[in-house]
Amino acid sequence: MSGEGQGDIIIARGLNKSFPGPVQALADFSVTVRRGEVLVIVGPSGSGKSTFLRCLNGLEEVDSGTIVVDGIPLDENERHRLEIRREVGMVFQSFNLFPHLSVLENISLAQRLVRGKSRARAREFSMELLARVGLRDKAGSYPAELSGGQQQRVAIARALAMMPRVMLFDEATSALDPEMIGEVLDVMRQLADDGMTMVVVTHEMGFAREVSDRILFMEQGRVIEEGTPEQFFNSPVRERTRAFLRQIL
Amino acid sequence: MHRRPGKNIASSFDVIKYLLTLGGLAWLIGRGSEQLGYSWHWHRIPGYILTVSHGHWQAGPLLEGLMVTLEVSAASLVLAALIGLVTALLRLSGSLVGRVLAVIYLETIRNTPLLVQIFFLYFVMAPILDLSRFTAAVLALAFFEGAYASEIFRAGIVSVARGQWEAAYSLGLSNYATYRHIILPQAVRLVLPPLTSQAISLVKDSALVSTIAVYDLTMQGRAIVAETFLVFEVWFTLAAIYLLLAFMLSLLVRLVERLLAGRGQPAWSVQ
Ligand SMILES: Nc1ncnc2c1ncn2[C@@H]1O[C@H](COP(=O)(O)OP(=O)(O)O)[C@@H](O)[C@H]1O
Ligand SMILES: [Mg+2]
Repeated sequence: MSGEGQGDIIIARGLNKSFPGPVQALADFSVTVRRGEVLVIVGPSGSGKSTFLRCLNGLEEVDSGTIVVDGIPLDENERHRLEIRREVGMVFQSFNLFPHLSVLENISLAQRLVRGKSRARAREFSMELLARVGLRDKAGSYPAELSGGQQQRVAIARALAMMPRVMLFDEATSALDPEMIGEVLDVMRQLADDGMTMVVVTHEMGFAREVSDRILFMEQGRVIEEGTPEQFFNSPVRERTRAFLRQIL
Repeated sequence: MHRRPGKNIASSFDVIKYLLTLGGLAWLIGRGSEQLGYSWHWHRIPGYILTVSHGHWQAGPLLEGLMVTLEVSAASLVLAALIGLVTALLRLSGSLVGRVLAVIYLETIRNTPLLVQIFFLYFVMAPILDLSRFTAAVLALAFFEGAYASEIFRAGIVSVARGQWEAAYSLGLSNYATYRHIILPQAVRLVLPPLTSQAISLVKDSALVSTIAVYDLTMQGRAIVAETFLVFEVWFTLAAIYLLLAFMLSLLVRLVERLLAGRGQPAWSVQ
């Protein structure tokens, strides 16, 4: 790709998105993410963080702007959208596990349907992933039998089962009881250590400070400030950022 | 499953009330028929159900009619479910043509009497398409009940939580795979009870196929009445058989529900 760094895996340029209502969810929003980078996005509620993540894998359509993920343009071509969804894993605030399927089936389903793996091979990899998130003994359980923290770890394993190049986390710990936040953050930290490219929307400032490579502060669909964790927490430039940090820390 | 402690007592009260009502009804009918001077001949009814000749069991006309009713009902039930599902998917699809077709079908079926639809299929379409009586009857019932089934399916599909679609899409599942593996299995569990009522309606509505001389239970009953004037006995027997059918159908569905209940519960959208 000319003009863009070889290492850029997500290139979003000039995204605009509005819903019926006064505010614009995304307003000329641009960002690039390098391969292996952990980008944390913070911002007040309603600032467009979820909308950005959802646009990245085509759950929401932008009004204008371009998105390229791992060299694949997200455009009218339905095949491109499917390809991108296969390369991008997403973890939701509300877990969204499939309640009628066991944990093992939750993780295996897409491997079989999308990647065409045999039942046995999908199972093998699923068990490996379950071990990685510390839930090997829960393979046969149904989602309703698990705690919130366990459900979210299964959801992460389910996304990883597609061997994505990028993982998106939309407030993955916001729906959890406080005592369960740690176990999910641990899995995310492990993933970052393993070199996964991650875009993380979170209110966990400790995680942002320790794990992220770059923090982006957005408000009303725009990038207000962007920098390394040190810059962001210790010497924010914008008054708006300082006010946000005072409020949240 | 654990029950509320009061539930058994409450339901035995229901049973007692039901029996009292039935008893009252029987008394009324008994008195009424006495005044009419009706003479009962119940002993002749079993012969119309089952007879023994030369040591062999032989199905009487009522039992033969019941078999036809079951065949018509089963065939149109399967077809109605299929039509209902396809129509629901069309209505929810992105295709304008599909949605318009579905709505035209639904409005036509729901705003004309089933009897007219049966006649239309039998007297107009059957000669053109060379359909048998039986096929015309099955098609008419299936298209009629399919319209109602489609609304039930649609309600079930839209009540599966939005997050289920998003999770499936974000894994790269196609539209088809999402419906097939994620949405429909959850929707079907939700719509099983209303779908059962619809199936029971279908069995009852199937009596109307007797109007085009399909020899179902009702038609056989009418023939016996015409021949023997056992008006009360025959119609009581028919009502009892239909009641039994409906009862067994709901038992069957309850069994299926029980089997599914052990597994994970669907995610309903909060609306
Ligand atoms: N499906 C939707 N319909 C209408 N408005 C929406 C929808 N999704 C998001 N919005 C609006 O877009 C803005 C950005 O929302 P969102 O991206 O969810 O913010 P955040 O995730 O940062 O809290 C908000 O004003 C929100 O009300
Ligand atoms: Mg959000």
